[in-house]
Amino acid sequence: MTATRVSGEGVGASVRRVEDRRLLDGGGEYLADLRVPGTVEVAFLRSPVAHARLKGVDIPTQFRNSVFLAEDIGFTKPIVAATAAPGFQSSEYPALAREKLRFVGEMIAMCIAPTRAEAEDIAQACTLDLDELPAVWDIDVALAADAPRIHEGWRDNVFLRSAITAGDLAGIKANAPVVVQKTLRMGRHAGVSLETRGVLAHYDRRLGELVVYSSTQFPHVIRTVLAQSLGIAESRLRVVAPDVGGGFGIKGNFHPEELAVAALAMKLGCPVRWIEDRREHLVASPHAREHRYRITAYADRSGRIRGLEAEVVVDAGAYSVWPWTAAMEAGMSAGIMTGPYDIPVYHGRAVTVCTNKSPLGPYRGVGRSGACFALETMIDAIARAVGRNPEDVRLENMVPPSAMPYRSATGKFYDSGDYPECARRALAAIDPAAVRARQARGEPDGRLIGFGMASYTEQSAHGTAEWVARGMPVVFGYEPALARFTPDGKLILFVGIQNHGQGLETTLAQVAHQELGIAVADIVVRHGDSSVSPYGMGTFASRSMTMAGGAVSRACAMLAEKVKRIGAHLLQAPIDAVTLAGGQVAFGSQSVGFAAIAEAAYRHPERLPSGEEPGLEANAVYEPQCSTGAFSYATHACTVAVDPGTGMVELLDYVVCHDCGTMVNPMIVEAQVVGGVVQGLGTALYEEIPYDENGQPLASTFLDYLIPGAPEAPDVRVLHMETPSPHTRFGIKGMGEGGAIAPPAAVVNAVNDALRPLGAEVTETPITPERVLTAILAAEARR
Amino acid sequence: MKNHVSLTVNGRRVAAEIEPRLSLADFLREHLHLTATHLGCEHGVCGACTVLADGKPIRACIALAVSLDDAEIRTLEGLQGDPLMEALKDAFHEKHGLQCGFCTPGMLVSAWDLLRRRRDLDERTVRVAMSGNLCRCTGYQGIVRSIMAAAAHAGSAKGPA
Repeated sequence: MTATRVSGEGVGASVRRVEDRRLLDGGGEYLADLRVPGTVEVAFLRSPVAHARLKGVDIPTQFRNSVFLAEDIGFTKPIVAATAAPGFQSSEYPALAREKLRFVGEMIAMCIAPTRAEAEDIAQACTLDLDELPAVWDIDVALAADAPRIHEGWRDNVFLRSAITAGDLAGIKANAPVVVQKTLRMGRHAGVSLETRGVLAHYDRRLGELVVYSSTQFPHVIRTVLAQSLGIAESRLRVVAPDVGGGFGIKGNFHPEELAVAALAMKLGCPVRWIEDRREHLVASPHAREHRYRITAYADRSGRIRGLEAEVVVDAGAYSVWPWTAAMEAGMSAGIMTGPYDIPVYHGRAVTVCTNKSPLGPYRGVGRSGACFALETMIDAIARAVGRNPEDVRLENMVPPSAMPYRSATGKFYDSGDYPECARRALAAIDPAAVRARQARGEPDGRLIGFGMASYTEQSAHGTAEWVARGMPVVFGYEPALARFTPDGKLILFVGIQNHGQGLETTLAQVAHQELGIAVADIVVRHGDSSVSPYGMGTFASRSMTMAGGAVSRACAMLAEKVKRIGAHLLQAPIDAVTLAGGQVAFGSQSVGFAAIAEAAYRHPERLPSGEEPGLEANAVYEPQCSTGAFSYATHACTVAVDPGTGMVELLDYVVCHDCGTMVNPMIVEAQVVGGVVQGLGTALYEEIPYDENGQPLASTFLDYLIPGAPEAPDVRVLHMETPSPHTRFGIKGMGEGGAIAPPAAVVNAVNDALRPLGAEVTETPITPERVLTAILAAEARR
Repeated sequence: MKNHVSLTVNGRRVAAEIEPRLSLADFLREHLHLTATHLGCEHGVCGACTVLADGKPIRACIALAVSLDDAEIRTLEGLQGDPLMEALKDAFHEKHGLQCGFCTPGMLVSAWDLLRRRRDLDERTVRVAMSGNLCRCTGYQGIVRSIMAAAAHAGSAKGPA
């Protein structure tokens, strides 16, 4: 940990965002705002059924030249996303379906026209010749011994089974006085960036390169895989992510739409555009969650957990998404299951099931929302079993600060922090005693009050070792930065991450300011374009601030040395006698600014010290010292009111106490926590895409798929702790996903606390009114 | 089949021959290249496409352009320089009322309409009044605080127009 200097715009300052102006003026340039003359619009003809053999597509004669099938882009390679894990069953995901259809929404053909409406007309005019097959629409259906195989040649409909075994569970089982078992479900949902996905591809004749604009979180990585899939050299492909209207993981995959549209632009030689509509997004973009848990805890009579056994089963849909693979979700859940608790013995199993649904991909909180939900509802159950308050049981089971750094039973290396203190602060803010007093008094409107809490750890900024251990097709181990002064003394930072709401155009400038003292207003951050920035991995996994921030810091520190050498020479001062501060190199009362230094570096090399190279830029690559990650953590606590007549749940209070190490910009950190919480409340209460027994998705608009609106969202109270990571520049830990991890757990615990007098319990998210009422009726039936 | 439509957009008279099924949003974005009006759902729920028609907020994605013959349309671009809109933008900047920025134009137009009608706003009122605009990034907290700050600021500067 390097001591940080605090200055007005540096690390730790709530600088207002530099990217705001263009967005507030309606001047953001999102994918659908780009204009290339002569662009044709694509509407995809998508599968209306879950599972079928595709025998043919009947295209009306007048549209023969406007519809393109798999054979028309036969030069493309299918997407293959396999992990190195033994036993993983691999499959090919073609951009356009060939012989078989495996989910509702799978792409069959591209229909082109001058407008989207006309392209949709053409898609509607085509008819499909199909042999329908039984839909594998559910985990249980998929695992049945006689289930139809979704992928030919597979042993069963399972991508991967894996296990983690730490410690002697048999010994624990034999002696545990308290055994608690729970069966839980987390619903399937969508990611829902407010801007949908989209791709625009055209051929640049002058440069001889294919230019692909995509609303993506990682343009450089897309360039690599797209070039491979198209069979062209990466030097002949440019991938640009313009302003991106939210990602949350959905836009951090290589999508078959990207491949299909790029291939069509190559084939036709004219610009081609596809803008996803909301129905496509809900039905056919990578889905999120859908976990099932069987979890058993073995505890002593005080509620101290001695051993834990958990099985995670995830419905990963029909295909494995690149690069994460289908197995990531279940593997991450099983791998972080013990959370912030000191649980020495753990046996976990992860099962990734293949079904006829849209493929599952990463979504904010990947795997961990489910793990937190499973473990934290378990802790409440243990507390009830031993007759204690859940907060006391939590605190006693947590990894104490004296044990830091701590290696968990699953091999995670927790770098720093005080987990119990974080929980105590959240508790003090929500005041469980007051909530319980109110609960005991009863509400005039008959609603039931409940208190719930949940804690988690969030692995962030993991580097080479972690991604190698996961057997990934790409090892996201580092991040680059090129810091370049312009000849007038301003600074441009070229970075490989992609900013889509995180404020990185501001926070990376703050890091540069920290190193060089240059005003944030004099810094431009360039990202999102494979032809502009050095090759980087993009923005996901709560990594960009730590990784790109580290790279910017290193590049700017190198620049600072050169700036001082040139400045000292211009001032005719010894290098050891000058200081760099406030945008000036100073020697006594004399000083020289960046403009004069850059002028010498670029336009007047005769003014440079002997042997100094002209130019003023520096390239750096950053990897954290410890590549297993910096662990943020938090405790969420909330109060709810449950109406036993309607099943409606209202959040009365929501508190987060979190610790993401050194905060570069506390204003941005707080807002990302709040935004994450409200997404997590969507998982907890509203968002779900159920499928019927024909494999048809039952939510495909914002009328039947609900995301939280302003009236449903609470005013979240956020408390900050700052324990720097010992492994990262400035002690930064990532935090982008964390807010979304705990809400399902905290809200389920609160609802169940409210329902306790009725003997009812919910075990499934989202906690819809129907599920609350079903739980109440089931409890009445038992009495 | 095309129909003639003639309307005023941001103070400029516009006439065009368009298909009856063309939405106002597509007309603004694809024909006039006014891209501040965003499309988040195209079925009238998310509010990203909110614009003013004859002074009232509407969903441009489910309004047919041909049905707006003679109407006066104002988009976010057309409110540039308006004192109340500038106060809102300043507040959204100061109170961190936006992250990815995609819902922002619709939020600003809806908030402008709200503040035109009333300035005595508590948090609950703002939340309910803004229920027709979805945001996926902010959790609404920054947006609500921005609107309340703009109301306080604009309220002290001058009364509702």
